[in-house]
Amino acid sequence: MTQTLTTDRLILRQPAPADWAAFWAFFQTERSTGVGGPLHIGPAWRHFAAELGHWQIRGHGMWTVTRKGDDAALGMVGPWTPEDWPETEVGWMIFEPTLEGTGIATEAAKAAVAHAYGTLGWDTVVSYVAPGNDRSARLAEKLGAMHDTNAPVPNRYPDTIVYRHPKPEVAA
Amino acid sequence: MIPVVTTDRLTLRAPEQRDFETYAAFRASDRAKTVGGPFPRSHAFQSFCAIIGHWTMRGYGRWIVADKTTDEPVGLVGIFYPEDWPEPEVAWSMFANGEGKGYACEAAKAAREWAYETLGWNRLVSMVDPTNTRSVALAKRLGCTPGGTFTHETLGELHYWVHPGPEAAR
Repeated sequence: MTQTLTTDRLILRQPAPADWAAFWAFFQTERSTGVGGPLHIGPAWRHFAAELGHWQIRGHGMWTVTRKGDDAALGMVGPWTPEDWPETEVGWMIFEPTLEGTGIATEAAKAAVAHAYGTLGWDTVVSYVAPGNDRSARLAEKLGAMHDTNAPVPNRYPDTIVYRHPKPEVAA
Repeated sequence: MIPVVTTDRLTLRAPEQRDFETYAAFRASDRAKTVGGPFPRSHAFQSFCAIIGHWTMRGYGRWIVADKTTDEPVGLVGIFYPEDWPEPEVAWSMFANGEGKGYACEAAKAAREWAYETLGWNRLVSMVDPTNTRSVALAKRLGCTPGGTFTHETLGELHYWVHPGPEAAR
């Protein structure tokens, strides 16, 4: 089980109980609309607990994104594969509005997609983006992912937009 | 790490991938009515993961209750304390195959004893939907006494049942 990914500026590590505060702060804001928020504290806490448990069940999960030298949680990025997902996803949620324009989200997501294709050996990587979540769609496009109009969608999110990430050799 | 607790007939252990189908069927069934369900099957995976994450967050949580001989999952019992709960409780949910055998009582007693001994607690409650007559009966069988009410945002009014303390429960 890979616990950590390192990029130029970032460390992506397994989520820990201490990240709950940042997660909860995010899920109280309108910024979380594209990822199922805003949430009441009970559902938000269960969602966060599920992020931790996903690692135990799957052996992979979303990482907490941190800057090197500062363990504060900036967001979460990584594999998310619930049982009802038709394909293997790399998802993201960016807690910190101040990250916009820094390229941090792109740097983290790029590492996560590469890890999914490489270390995890996935055949394909998609990202599910809620309609209207333009920030997220822009990030997918920046990563080189293409809107795949023929892709199956999760039953519970029939309107989701599916972005498919190119395999590394194609992207190169 | 999720500890293992054994009783005469049962093993209380960590939820594993192989338990998922049974759990998902329970959550989608009418049996889940008194815990806010039935829930769409698509929600089951996330709540299953959350059972495990609860242990990481709190250092305690709910176990899969399995038949000691066959390892077949028969229920979910343990100490439950999500962020929207007033205090930690002994919680139980039995799957259809775990009903009517005294398993819930056996597992709840073991969970209670574990909390008193391992966590060093001296108070435990269970919060029960008053219309859930089987659960009310179990609370009484466990020696619990009524202790007020709590209104949950979505689940409505729940009744506190206060467990006998560490000495009395032994």
